[in-house]
Amino acid sequence: MKKQCVAMLLAGGKGSRLSGLTKNMAKPAVSFGGKYRIIDFTLSNCSNSGIDTVGILTQYQPLELNSYIGIGSAWDLDRYNGGVTVLPPYAESSEVKWYKGTASAIYENLNYLNQYDPEYVLILSGDHIYKMDYGKMLDYHIEKKADVTISVIEVGWEEASRFGIMKANPDGTITHFDEKPKFPKSNLASMGIYIFNWPLLKQYLEMDDQNPYSSHDFGKDIIPLLLEEKKKLSAYPFKGYWKDVGTVQSLWEANMDLLKEDSELKLFERKWKIYSVNPNQPPQFISSDAQVQDSLVNEGCVVYGNVSHSVLFQGVTVGKHTTVTSSVIMPDVTIGEHVVIENAIVPNGMVLPDGAVIRSEKDIEEVLLVSEEFVEKELI
Amino acid sequence: MFNNQMLGVIDETTYKHSLQDLTAQRSLGAIPFAGRYRLIDFMLSNMVNADIRSVAIFPKYRYRSLMDHLGAGKEWDLHRKKDGLFFFPSPHLHHEYDEFGSFRQFSDHLDYFHRSTQQYAVISNSHTVCNIQFQYVLKRHQEVGCDVTEVFQDGQSLQIYIMSTTLLKDLIYGHSEKGYKTIQEAVEKESSALTICPYEYSGYAAVIDSVEKYYTHSMELIQPRFWQQVFLPQQPIYTKVKDEPPTKYGKHSTVKNSLVANGCVLEGEVENCILFRAVHVGKGTKLKNCIIMQKTQIGEDCLLEQVISDKDVKIGKATEAVGTAEQPLVLRKGLVQGELMNS
Repeated sequence: MKKQCVAMLLAGGKGSRLSGLTKNMAKPAVSFGGKYRIIDFTLSNCSNSGIDTVGILTQYQPLELNSYIGIGSAWDLDRYNGGVTVLPPYAESSEVKWYKGTASAIYENLNYLNQYDPEYVLILSGDHIYKMDYGKMLDYHIEKKADVTISVIEVGWEEASRFGIMKANPDGTITHFDEKPKFPKSNLASMGIYIFNWPLLKQYLEMDDQNPYSSHDFGKDIIPLLLEEKKKLSAYPFKGYWKDVGTVQSLWEANMDLLKEDSELKLFERKWKIYSVNPNQPPQFISSDAQVQDSLVNEGCVVYGNVSHSVLFQGVTVGKHTTVTSSVIMPDVTIGEHVVIENAIVPNGMVLPDGAVIRSEKDIEEVLLVSEEFVEKELI
Repeated sequence: MFNNQMLGVIDETTYKHSLQDLTAQRSLGAIPFAGRYRLIDFMLSNMVNADIRSVAIFPKYRYRSLMDHLGAGKEWDLHRKKDGLFFFPSPHLHHEYDEFGSFRQFSDHLDYFHRSTQQYAVISNSHTVCNIQFQYVLKRHQEVGCDVTEVFQDGQSLQIYIMSTTLLKDLIYGHSEKGYKTIQEAVEKESSALTICPYEYSGYAAVIDSVEKYYTHSMELIQPRFWQQVFLPQQPIYTKVKDEPPTKYGKHSTVKNSLVANGCVLEGEVENCILFRAVHVGKGTKLKNCIIMQKTQIGEDCLLEQVISDKDVKIGKATEAVGTAEQPLVLRKGLVQGELMNS
């Protein structure tokens, strides 16, 4: 069943900087935005862009992510031909082929791609929050007659060293690429979104696999090699909200971004809906003593206290005389009475006892990620 | 062992004149209720939660909306290869039998009853709101050994019956000869040889068959002591789900004592209300004792009290709409009021 374009979604990463949140689940399964998981954005983008065949490469702690994805019906990707396929590392004869890097993950699944024999392969990661029409990027790729198109975004110069930085001609042709350069030559950062012509991708993945000095990574190995061999690489300029929620601080910030009056990421925009597995809980109940302002609250919540400038996921209970400020409360958290929470992220399912105070010390501007140990030690 | 012992029949044939403002374009069972459900979801979910995997729905009037809501029954876990959800509109409109549990209606689809293997049948209407466990009603029915068990609450019938499928089939086949038009008649007529046992249900139950009852019970349900009896985590009420974002509460919004669905944007004052999904309440607007259905947009500086607003209503700036508790003001679906009316 030939497809024009197949998407490969890299969802195997640990996201170690998210510490407690990724102890038992891969980063793309982490909760975001009061209702979603990080991977919902990339999957919804695929579905809305008209891409109906997506391979999801899992590796680290995949159970939560796999059960969440199921057969892809939530994103309209349960199809007769194509649809979603979860691709974990597998054993061949006697050896398990663990994914050694982003490129290796794709290489080990050449058989999957051969099934569809696509013209183009779209490589994505499940780590970022953004809305994008991949169809437009594909049109650009075809128009420029490129071998590879990389989606790029302008970042602040002070942050540029965190990214893969490109230098491109006015016509979009990439001339330089530096992975996390100390002294960046430009502020055009790679978003980790690539469109390859399939025959070329196959060729270079096979080459890369044979190379014992390679770290089998797109950014570090494949892209520089392609540039060296004078292949045509095009930079697709992306304008819009794009956030890497790889740290506790950035995850919190991205949630707070949603509360802005003119939030750049438009969750309420009907023409590009973000799909997710809907929790199907009763409507939220706001009691007569409660006060909820400047916040996002999901279904199943029961609020008796004060919630301000916060994001409440499904099934959260906020007890009487409790104040929740500038915080992200993840699904099914139970907060007792007379509790104070400020500048914190409370992970799934936690129970915060009456009278608990969770607030960073005066001078520290850091966001607190509440952990089980903290609750046991400090609060009980 | 309750596995596959019961089939469910939902009689959606009755028409309640008093609800005409809300049923102009939909049947009773399709009336939106409690912020994110349709009336039929409660009975349907009760059946599914009792492990009933074969449910036959008998609609009669304006059932497009109901059909659209139910689809193939996926959201109620009834999209199955074996059994599942059945939708049985009547090939004829039997105006003369407009009562609940009409055998004439059931007899138009005899095949379903022929082919069913379940020993017992639960028959209910589409507009009773409760969270009842049919397994316990069945158990009682089996223990006591009556022909028919009818569920009551404080002397009022909840229009829920359990009987053996064999008996139901007999009643359906014989309805023209014996002259029993409905289940009600079959159990009430003195000449009837059937033994009837009442089952007293003590949990929250509301039969929604008039606008007054729709309004009163909706307002009542906002109280935790009542909604906690209907929204039970271990016996959830299933419904068709839409992908709405969480509700956004504005910087100056004041929401008190209300049930709110997802996708809303609330910037005004809301008190004692039920807000369905994607409802917008503008700045400076005050809503009190209202039921506002899906996607209704209320502009700034409005005042609405004791109002039931249907779906897709647009209310312009500085508009007032006030009803009373005894006679709530009903705004029909798609109505445009106020400033935007002529634009």
